[in-house]
Amino acid sequence: MTDAAHRLLWTIIALLLVAGGAAALAASYGVLPGGDPGAALLSARLLHQWRLATPWTTLAAAAAGALLALSGHHLLRAELRRPRSAVRGTLSHPGRRPGRTRVAADVLVHALERDLTGAPGVRRARVVLTGAPPRPDVWIRVDLTADTPTARVREHVGAAVRRFATTAGCQPAHLDVTARIEPGRP
Amino acid sequence: MRTANRVASLVLAAALLAGGVLLAVQALLVTLDRPTPLLTRTDWYDTLTSTGWRDPGVRAVAGGAVLLGLVVLAAQLRRWTPVRLRVDERDGWHLHRRCVERRLADAVGTVPGVRRARVRVRRRGAEWRPRVRATGDPAARAEVEFAVHQELHRLAAPRTGRIEVRLLPRGWSV
Repeated sequence: MTDAAHRLLWTIIALLLVAGGAAALAASYGVLPGGDPGAALLSARLLHQWRLATPWTTLAAAAAGALLALSGHHLLRAELRRPRSAVRGTLSHPGRRPGRTRVAADVLVHALERDLTGAPGVRRARVVLTGAPPRPDVWIRVDLTADTPTARVREHVGAAVRRFATTAGCQPAHLDVTARIEPGRP
Repeated sequence: MRTANRVASLVLAAALLAGGVLLAVQALLVTLDRPTPLLTRTDWYDTLTSTGWRDPGVRAVAGGAVLLGLVVLAAQLRRWTPVRLRVDERDGWHLHRRCVERRLADAVGTVPGVRRARVRVRRRGAEWRPRVRATGDPAARAEVEFAVHQELHRLAAPRTGRIEVRLLPRGWSV
C-alpha cells in the first residue's frame, strides 16, 4: 500500500474514533435526543429486540464477522504485497505494413533492470511501469554503492531509458528515478 | 510516521481477520444451538448489562477515543517531510533524503575534531539547505562547510543554499 493510501485509511479511522467517542459522550451526558443516560449499555429493550429477531440477528452477526475477516484479509494482503507493474500483458504496435508487434511488458521491465544493473556501482535496480502502454510512466529505483559517482550513474540511467524507448518503441510519458546510496566513509 | 502507519495497518489487519473469524464462527454456533466455548464466560455480558451510559468508565473510554482520534488525525494531516530530494526536474532524478543526510554526516565526521554529526537537508525551491549539528571545535566551521560542499558535489546535488553549521564544544548534547 502506498503512503497516501495509509494516510487516507488512518484519517478515516481517526474520524470514526472521534465520531464514535463524541456520540458516546453525548449519550452519556443525555444530549442525544431520545437517549436515556441512566440505561445500561446493553439495555433490556435492546436485548428483547435481539432475542425476538433471532436467528436473523445471529446470522447478521455471522455475516458481519465474515465481512470483517474479509476486509482484514484484503488489508493484510495489500500490506504484504510488493509494488508491481500496473502495465501487464503486452505492448502492442501497429506496423506500416499489415500486422502488429507484441512484446511482453514483463520482459521489457526485466531487460531494463538488467541494463541498469550493468552499470558499475549499481547494486540493484527495480522498474515499475504504470499508465497507458503506448506512453507508459517509468518508475526506477537504483541502489548505488558508496563509492559511485552519482553523475556517471545518471548518464547511464538516461542512456538505458533511451535504449528502452527505442527497443520498445514507446517514449515514457513520465520518468521518475530514485537513487539510494549505501552509507560509507567518503 | 510512515513506518508507524505500516505497523498499525498490519496490526489492524490481523485484528480484523482474527476478530472477524471468531465473531462469524461464534455467531454461527449460536444460530445452530451448538455450544460456544468463548461465550460461556458471562463476565462481559454482566458488565455490559449492568454498566450505565453515565458510568465514569464509559465517559473515560469515550473521551479517550475522541482524544486518540484527534491525535491520529493531526498526525495524518500535518505536512510530512518528503522521503526524496529532487535533483533535476528534467530527468526526474531524485536522491533518497536519508541516504544524503547520512552521507553528509559521514563527510562531516571526517573533519578532524568533529564528532557525532547530524545533518538535515531542507529544500527551498531548487536549492538544498543542509543544516549540520555536531560536537567539536567551533573553529572547524570552515572545514565542515568544505566537507559538505565536497560531498554534495560528489552526489551531483543541485545549487546549494547557505549551509547552517552549529558546532557545540564537547560535553554539550547535539
